[in-house]
Amino acid sequence: MSLFKKMLRDIKVNKTQFISIFLMAFIGIFAFCGVCSEYYGLEQTSSEFYSDTNLADGWIYNTTITDGAIDEIKNFTTDYEKQMVVQSVGNFSNDPEITLHFVEDNEISKFYTTEGEDFNSSDDSGVWLDKRFADAWNLTVGDNITFKFNGLTLEKEIKGIGYSPEYVYEASPTSIIPNFKDMGFAYLSNESFPLSDIPYNVLLVKFNQSPDDFKDSLDDSVEYLSYTQQSDHVSVSQFNEEMAQHKMIGDVFPIVFILVTFLTLLTTMTRIVTHQRTQIGVLKAVGYKNRTIILHFMSYGFWLVLAGAVLGLISGPAIIPDLFYPTMTSRYSLPEWNPGFDISFVVVAAAMVISSLLVSYIAARNISKENPANTMRPKAPNMSSSGFLENSKLWTKLNFNLRWNYRDAKRNNFRALMAIVGVMGCVALLISAFGMNDSMENLKTWEYDDISHFDSKLIIKSGASLSDIDDVREEVNGSTIMEQAIEIKAQGNEKTASLLTLNNTNLISQTDKNKNPINLSDTDISLSAKTAESLNVGVGDTVEWHIIGYDDWVKCKITNIHGEPLSQGIILSSDKLEDLGLNFTPTSIITTEHVDDDYDSIKSVSTLNQMVSNWNEMIGSVMMMVSILIFFAVLLAIVVLYNLGILSFTEIEREVATLKVLGFKTADLRKLLLTQNLFFTAIGFILGIPLGFYLMTLMLNAAGESLYYIPSLTLGNILLSGFITFVVSIVVNLLFSSKIKNLNMVEALKDVE
Amino acid sequence: MSTLIEFKDVVKEYKSGDHVLRAMDNVNFTIDEGEFVVILGPSGAGKSTLLNLLGGLDSTTSGQIIVNGEHVENFNDNELTKYRAKNVGFIFQFYNLIPNLTALENVELMKDIVDVNINGEEVLNSVGLEGHSNQFPAQLSGGEQQRVSIARAVAKQPAMLLCDEPTGALDSKTGVLILNLLQDMSNNKNTTVIIVTHNAILAEAADKVIRIKNGQIESIVINENPRKVEDLEW
Ligand SMILES: Nc1ncnc2c1ncn2[C@@H]1O[C@H](COP(=O)(O)OP(=O)(O)O)[C@@H](O)[C@H]1O
Ligand SMILES: [Mg+2]
Repeated sequence: MSLFKKMLRDIKVNKTQFISIFLMAFIGIFAFCGVCSEYYGLEQTSSEFYSDTNLADGWIYNTTITDGAIDEIKNFTTDYEKQMVVQSVGNFSNDPEITLHFVEDNEISKFYTTEGEDFNSSDDSGVWLDKRFADAWNLTVGDNITFKFNGLTLEKEIKGIGYSPEYVYEASPTSIIPNFKDMGFAYLSNESFPLSDIPYNVLLVKFNQSPDDFKDSLDDSVEYLSYTQQSDHVSVSQFNEEMAQHKMIGDVFPIVFILVTFLTLLTTMTRIVTHQRTQIGVLKAVGYKNRTIILHFMSYGFWLVLAGAVLGLISGPAIIPDLFYPTMTSRYSLPEWNPGFDISFVVVAAAMVISSLLVSYIAARNISKENPANTMRPKAPNMSSSGFLENSKLWTKLNFNLRWNYRDAKRNNFRALMAIVGVMGCVALLISAFGMNDSMENLKTWEYDDISHFDSKLIIKSGASLSDIDDVREEVNGSTIMEQAIEIKAQGNEKTASLLTLNNTNLISQTDKNKNPINLSDTDISLSAKTAESLNVGVGDTVEWHIIGYDDWVKCKITNIHGEPLSQGIILSSDKLEDLGLNFTPTSIITTEHVDDDYDSIKSVSTLNQMVSNWNEMIGSVMMMVSILIFFAVLLAIVVLYNLGILSFTEIEREVATLKVLGFKTADLRKLLLTQNLFFTAIGFILGIPLGFYLMTLMLNAAGESLYYIPSLTLGNILLSGFITFVVSIVVNLLFSSKIKNLNMVEALKDVE
Repeated sequence: MSTLIEFKDVVKEYKSGDHVLRAMDNVNFTIDEGEFVVILGPSGAGKSTLLNLLGGLDSTTSGQIIVNGEHVENFNDNELTKYRAKNVGFIFQFYNLIPNLTALENVELMKDIVDVNINGEEVLNSVGLEGHSNQFPAQLSGGEQQRVSIARAVAKQPAMLLCDEPTGALDSKTGVLILNLLQDMSNNKNTTVIIVTHNAILAEAADKVIRIKNGQIESIVINENPRKVEDLEW
């Protein structure tokens, strides 16, 4: 098999070219599968967890779930289960809030035990505890724990520690980052309930209908306090939002990345075969069959692309997701975090291998179709008629460098296009990554500088008396606010949102959606821009809403639209709230003073600084993605530009040798190549900025329901992206400059292409 | 006439692994200014090697190459580049024009290298290429391309023209025209022209004929009455 020997030797001679083919295939597939695998991992792990634990399809809340109601509901459910859910306080120094679930048999939303024995619904001496809480307090199986609720005290032995599908995300009353020392949940047998008659207050249901149909059936048959469907459950919806963000980054980024990789790879493959033009002629003249020749040239890149793709397919999912998961565990609790796999990974990898085979095939076939005599001569360049520039006076004034580069780009316009698109893709990735960073920073200053002007926020214990609250408020010179989750509907759309009621304070101010300050009067009802958009309402429209947990729906007219980055919903004054017939029940006190003291009616205090650092932690996983994006964008830029460098260098090696023989200085020839490279880089850079901005907007729009981003990009980061791109471009160019210096003129000129 | 070129005990060895090949073995000769020199020898004799050493494309293993009193063998990279730019005009078998540039631009390219006033059109006319100046190499015949490469070589008015089988890729009729042109350059402009060929007939037209074999000088013959190229029997 002498052709096989030839192939090996060709690869050895052009090893940088072939290494770059291997690297491109590898990096492309590696990044694509790795980033996608992270997202699929979240989706697959969570949905597997939900189905393993048989997460409820809905939760019906009432003061007591009566047997009569159950008899009705039974008719349109496949399964149901009563629970008594109650807030308790654990016997720890910080009075942590622990949600107790007294359950009948725990067939729905099952407790997932990781340590100790499985949940036993007839065991009245044990408790099954939240793993995150147990870890935070170093509790182990066998320890005792005491809960207090409604004047009752319960002491139980920890029989098991684990997770629950209803607590993948545990909403924290005090901060956006859960502090697992402050809160937790526990599952107990209904037989452990201290009173003989258990006032069951939640009915978990499973059903086959669509959630909307179920709600209709429910509304038709029974009275209840409130109902939450699975997708609205705070744990599920919060995790879904997080996934949505990852998915968007995970969609946009790998696709751009893989497109750039494909482009570069395919061009390179075509070029490699085209370079062998004369050899194809010779092989044909010697008597090789067309088929043999085509197969030979197809096999060139095949093994390398295959190896790169397979390696990427395996190592991407194995490496990249694990970079993200640690930042995810600070906010979410799942028994395991596994990278996901999707058939699309294999499809993309296969598409890469097949399409590179295909382009080699087409290139080789086209050449082998020509008659051998023709092929053995260098291909006559297709010279288009001289253009506008060449006919102008200016042309003769241009120096050789510019003229040569202009013509070279014009003649090899495919190579030029590839260079520009490649750089453009890398710049777009860089810009979108930096833009994500800028937009997050922008959001942070918006929320914590422009809107919030308090130093401390004191969270009021539920059930604290109004006079106690007022005493604290006076002592810290603060102002009370009320924050609640609401359900809001208009135009047939329904959303969960938040309600912020202010009591004559300037410690929280409002802005429009472009961060310009606006003033709301006591009679205004303002809706956040994002909610207004998703409900499709504006100023003057009527919306209907109620506080979750209360049944009183109120109707009101929107008088303002405001912009708010972190929470979406309604802002109004306490007077207006009472006007609407609702009670102003303060949930926190905000103050400019720095509060360290403990008050009986105050559950916890968080300072603005803590909130800022919580925010930073919360966006940790997104920032992780951003860094990975930047890393791969730079890597891609290096490979694309390097590859381009080799391509143009091999294509013009002979010319460079000739110019050197004629007496051109190495420095001039370096400049020649550098000019071309910089020119392509500059065009790609300029085109890449708007594309990157667009990609960033796509990603930010997927940020989820509660966040409102203003896509931003600082000049500094544009310049930084430019700096990175040009540095990569120049460094890669320097690599080729040394090739010019060491170019052996005699050898370069000896062979005719 | 003064001596332009002198080779003294020039040795060139190519090493590949532990195998050493002596392509130039103690070569001595001189060439005078304005001489029309033909170098003859079988394939592999070392003709191209000789020309490449003289043209500063390659370095000697030992010995001296003196051009205009300067020792080429001692030049560093920069000096070699300057030397090539100023003294040497190369003409190759495969022309080696810059495909991106028109005939005229290929010639005027030399302005970037040397401080000589070049009228590209005039030079092209002098090699018989009136009306072809705006064509690209790919649009010219082989003979025309070789004329452009001669025009490019002479445009910078080098001390010597080094031609490595300049007619090797041309049909014989076109080849004669090219050789004729080169002889004219030598006669009329007093340019030293050195032509490598394996066509012995050209010997009759040369002022000096150097024959080499196995990297050694076989003979050096000075022709008192060189004939005109066009009068030779091809
Ligand atoms: N770069 C090289 N490496 C090794 N050997 C070479 C090299 N260039 C030429 N040679 C050898 O030197 C000898 C002379 O070559 P050359 O000068 O090209 O011959 P020709 O007279 O045909 O022009 C040949 O035997 C050739 O194989
Ligand atoms: Mg030769």
